[in-house]
Amino acid sequence: MVSAPSPTPEGFRVATAPPSTAAPITPDAATYTGPGRHAAPQLRPPLPVKMVIAGGFGVGKTTTVASISEIEPLTTEASITEVAAGVDDLTHTPHKTTTTVAMDFGCITLDPTLKLYLFGTPGQDRFGFMWDDLVEGALGGLVIVDTRRLDDCFAAVDFFENRNLPFAIGVNVFDGSLNHDLDEVRWALDVSESVPLVLFDARERGSVRDALLVVLELALARAER
Amino acid sequence: MASAPPAEGAQGSPQAGAVRPLRPYVMADDPEPPPPAPQPAAPAAPAATAAPVEPSGAAETEESPSGRSSLALRPFLLTAGRVAGGSSGSSDPPLPLETQVVATAEGLSALDGLAFERQAIVAACRVPQSLAELAARLQLHLNVVRVIAGDLHSARQLAVYVPQASTAQDVSVLRRVIDGLRAVPDSRGLPRGNRPA
Repeated sequence: MVSAPSPTPEGFRVATAPPSTAAPITPDAATYTGPGRHAAPQLRPPLPVKMVIAGGFGVGKTTTVASISEIEPLTTEASITEVAAGVDDLTHTPHKTTTTVAMDFGCITLDPTLKLYLFGTPGQDRFGFMWDDLVEGALGGLVIVDTRRLDDCFAAVDFFENRNLPFAIGVNVFDGSLNHDLDEVRWALDVSESVPLVLFDARERGSVRDALLVVLELALARAER
Repeated sequence: MASAPPAEGAQGSPQAGAVRPLRPYVMADDPEPPPPAPQPAAPAAPAATAAPVEPSGAAETEESPSGRSSLALRPFLLTAGRVAGGSSGSSDPPLPLETQVVATAEGLSALDGLAFERQAIVAACRVPQSLAELAARLQLHLNVVRVIAGDLHSARQLAVYVPQASTAQDVSVLRRVIDGLRAVPDSRGLPRGNRPA
C-alpha cells in the first residue's frame, strides 16, 4: 500500500470540516506522526470508481459481481424511509416506517491507486429510487438480461437511458446456449443500436471482465466526444 | 436503564432529543419511549446542526453505555436520531457509497477513548476503505455509518475522501480503469486478448 507524502489525491475533494472545528483534515495530516501512542502514517486511499450491475431479480447480478470481485461479495443494508411512503402499500402495516433493502457489492484493486467497485442494484423494481445513490458518479452500467424473462430488465434500461449513463446489455448465457437470436433480443428490448448487446457468462471471470470492458469503452468514447 | 446525564441549562434536556420525530425506526405504538441515545463522540460537532442532544463533550465516556442495550433494535439510536452526518447538513447530498475513509493519527491516538461503533469504525479504518465496505464488515446500517463517519470527521479522527462525480467522465481515469481491467486474468489465468480462438 502506498503511504502518503502527498497533496490532495487526484479526483478527490477532501471534505472540509465545519468552521467550528480547527483546520480541516487535509492529506497533510496523513503524514502527521505526532505524539499519539498509536500514531502511524495514514494511508492514502485509492481513487474509487464504480460501476452498477442492474437487472431483474435472480438474473445473475450477484454471480457476476462474485466472479470478478477480489473479495467475497459484501452485503450492506440501506433503508427506505419516507421515500417509500408513496411506493410501499402501507394499508395493512400502518406502523411500518421503514423497509430495509440489501445490496451486494464487490471490488477489484486495479492498481494501488485505483479501485473499482461493482454495485449490484436491489432486484425489485420498487427499490429503483435507490439507484440514484448508486449511479451518481458511476462510470457506467451493465444490465443483465435473462432471455426467458426479458421484461425484468426494462426498469433498469429505462433508468440508465433517462440518466444518460453509458450502459450495455449483457445477455447471461446460463447454460452455454442461447435460445434467441441477438437481433431478436434487441428488437424485444427496443433499445437503440448505440446500446451494445453482449453475450456473457456470469460465472466466468473473463466473460464478466469483457462485458464490463464493453461498457467502459462506450463510456470512454462518450467522454472523448 | 442508566440515568440520563444532568445536562440541564443551556444545552436543554437530553430527553427532548429522545422523542424527536427524526428517527425512522421508532414505531408509532411504542409502549414506552426508548432510552436516551448515545452522544456523538465529537466534542467539536458543528454548532449549525442544531441538534438538541449535543453532548457536553466531557461526559461522553460515561454516557455511552446507556444507549447500548437498544443497539439491535434501532440503528439510528446510534446517531442520536440524526440522519445526516456531522460534516454535512441534511441539505447536502449523502456521502457516496464508495467514499474512502481512513483513520487519522488523531483518531488512532484517541481510540481508547472512543466507544463501541466509533471505536470499531476508527479501528477498521486503519486500512482505507469505502463506506460500503465499512458498513458491511461491521454489520452496521449504511446510513448510520454515513452519520458516524461525518461525526468522526468533524472531530478530525477520520479523514474522508469524497470522490468527485466528474471523475466518471475523466478520460484519463477511464483509460486507467480499462487498462487495469484488461490485465485482470480470466479464470484460466489469461488476460484479455490471450484467449484461445
